[in-house]
Amino acid sequence: MSEQPVSRGDDRISRRDFLKLLAAAGTVLTFTPFVDWGKFLPNPAGSTNEKSKVELPDGSQANVKTFKVNHAEAIIYPKSEDPALNEEAFRTWQFIRLPSELGGEKNDASAFRVYSMVCLHLWCLWKYWPGEGRKRGECPCHGSLYDPLTGLAFAGPASLQSPPSNVLPRLDLEVDKDGNVWILPPNWSVNGNGVVGYGRFIT
Amino acid sequence: MDVSLHKENSLVRLFKWIYSGLDRTIFMGMKFTFPTRFVSPLGFLGMLTFILFIILGITGALLMLWYEPILDRAWDSVENINDTIPYGFHMRNIHYHASNAMVMMAILHMYYQYFSGRYKIRNEILWVTGILIGVLTILEAFTGYDIIFSERAELAISIAASLTNSIPIIGPDMRDAFFGAGFHDFILRFYAFHVFFLPIVLIGLMALHFPRFLVFDVPMVMAISGAVMITGGVFPVEMGLKFDPNVPPGITVPEWYLTGLYAFLRSAYDKFVTGVAWPGLFIFTLLIIPFIDRYKKFSWKDRPIITAIGITSIAQIIVTTYWGFYIDPDRTKSLLERLVIDPIFLYTVMIALVPLSFGFTYLMIKLAKNAEANAKKQPKKQVSSINLPQNWIYYVFIALIGFQIYLNIAAYYAILNGMKNISLFYIGIIMLVFAGMFHIYRHGRSVANNPPPPYIQTRAKLGMKQKAITDKTLSDSKELSSNNGNNVKSKGLLSKVFKVRKQNKNSFEKMWNKE
Repeated sequence: MSEQPVSRGDDRISRRDFLKLLAAAGTVLTFTPFVDWGKFLPNPAGSTNEKSKVELPDGSQANVKTFKVNHAEAIIYPKSEDPALNEEAFRTWQFIRLPSELGGEKNDASAFRVYSMVCLHLWCLWKYWPGEGRKRGECPCHGSLYDPLTGLAFAGPASLQSPPSNVLPRLDLEVDKDGNVWILPPNWSVNGNGVVGYGRFIT
Repeated sequence: MDVSLHKENSLVRLFKWIYSGLDRTIFMGMKFTFPTRFVSPLGFLGMLTFILFIILGITGALLMLWYEPILDRAWDSVENINDTIPYGFHMRNIHYHASNAMVMMAILHMYYQYFSGRYKIRNEILWVTGILIGVLTILEAFTGYDIIFSERAELAISIAASLTNSIPIIGPDMRDAFFGAGFHDFILRFYAFHVFFLPIVLIGLMALHFPRFLVFDVPMVMAISGAVMITGGVFPVEMGLKFDPNVPPGITVPEWYLTGLYAFLRSAYDKFVTGVAWPGLFIFTLLIIPFIDRYKKFSWKDRPIITAIGITSIAQIIVTTYWGFYIDPDRTKSLLERLVIDPIFLYTVMIALVPLSFGFTYLMIKLAKNAEANAKKQPKKQVSSINLPQNWIYYVFIALIGFQIYLNIAAYYAILNGMKNISLFYIGIIMLVFAGMFHIYRHGRSVANNPPPPYIQTRAKLGMKQKAITDKTLSDSKELSSNNGNNVKSKGLLSKVFKVRKQNKNSFEKMWNKE
């Protein structure tokens, strides 16, 4: 039987080939469950399906009625139980109320912006400067400048990087009837809310 | 069907090229045997231990992605792995149970080699390296459960540190060198030992320890992996309580491979003698045993003193292991009273076990020799074997594949519903089913390689009625094929395919012969 020619040109398979196919199918099925185990690797902390508060450094929730126009605060997102993780740059975001000429007087979500504070150039932390003539995000390390309206780097080394690495990741906001500001569940992709430290495509 | 497993495509050629290139590497110096039928796993327990080591390496490496060896974060990070990280529960349980299984396998492996006298005939180096690997394996397991930094881990660390301290002259310096100054150092250092120092030394010793012939039995390997997962599903490992120096710890006992030592420590006798000298003496005896054993024969029956020593050690290990676990349940007594074992009682039992074990060994050898002599007188019994007919190989195989599909879906749903240990249990069964499938595949291949003569095969498959017809009309190929067509109707589609095909072939050959 071992010398027996297997393929005779007809459309049937030999016993031994069938046995091999069964064994192959069994092997594939055995290791199929482990494919899902790949979820062990990414950090699940960043993905959530719930909206969360914009929590200001003083512990209160940001509100359209009280938050000043042309003003910015550093916020932590996603907020962790672990104080060490809350220190981390990739969780720090700049919560900005736009200056009045960019629509900051409005009492809805369009008056606000949240951008990742991690500069797209070399991951220093930039911040918003509200002074007259500035009103922009500035990175202390190499002077990249960011447009608060869109998150686009318009000057400095970050502006020279090709898309999507010239636009800051942002979070989407929602304002409830009491005026409290909430962060909507993010979609961490370059076509969605962007990837921290990497960038976002302007859609 | 276009599928042909016999045509060499470029992928197959690539694999063959790589395989031929391996000829120049060290791996080809080792001879791997893939058994073509079931062989007793006792002969390759070492390989199974190594497989568990590999499983531990993989799961351990993955756990390193989440574990934090920092004083105030260690326990929390383990809790995070256990409760939050997807499949972290699985990884941790597999890692824990595989570590226990590895210690167990290593012990079984050692005793099998011991009683079968395999450490002789220039295998002394294998034996000595094996003992060292065994000791390091226990240290590896010990450092592993310490870095969780639960109450039990703290107890174990404090015992280990004080035992090291109790060594005369060099003890205090050794303690400073290995343990560092405080809990922060203990955690970080035990972690470094656990993930780097000890494994590196283990791998080095394993390279020395590998015999030239290795048996890689796929079903057994998968069965072991499956058993580890099932154990993890049924007995998920607990977190224990986070160690807090302000809270009095509850009564905890160490892992089972250390309770034997723990029993001696609980006798509250001198720490060095109980905790260092006795285990040291035990390890030293094991190391020199091949040089003491002067018997010319291998079998345990022909080496009474050596066998008796082995039995004594097993008896003492079992008794002390149980004793280490046992804590007087009478809560009216003080904790100290419940914990402390009377040293005179303990050592009397230990000494009493020696003549008992020697007597037991004498009895066993007598009985075994008698049985041997009786067996020689009687005619040899035929070895029974399970002969699965070829069609049933396929039926069983397809049933197992169907079962696997069910289990896959069940495991996935269990994970979606948060039933982590049920999912781990199912995946363990998947592995066991695969072990069974591989065994059947192996059986099927051997059946295909050694088919019974075709005439007998035909007769066996046809019923008695058909048999007569077959005999009568053996030359008439048309009738034969129609008969078979009727016969297979009642059976499954698959067997039909094969039978008709076979029959066509037979008819074809007969027609050919006629002409």
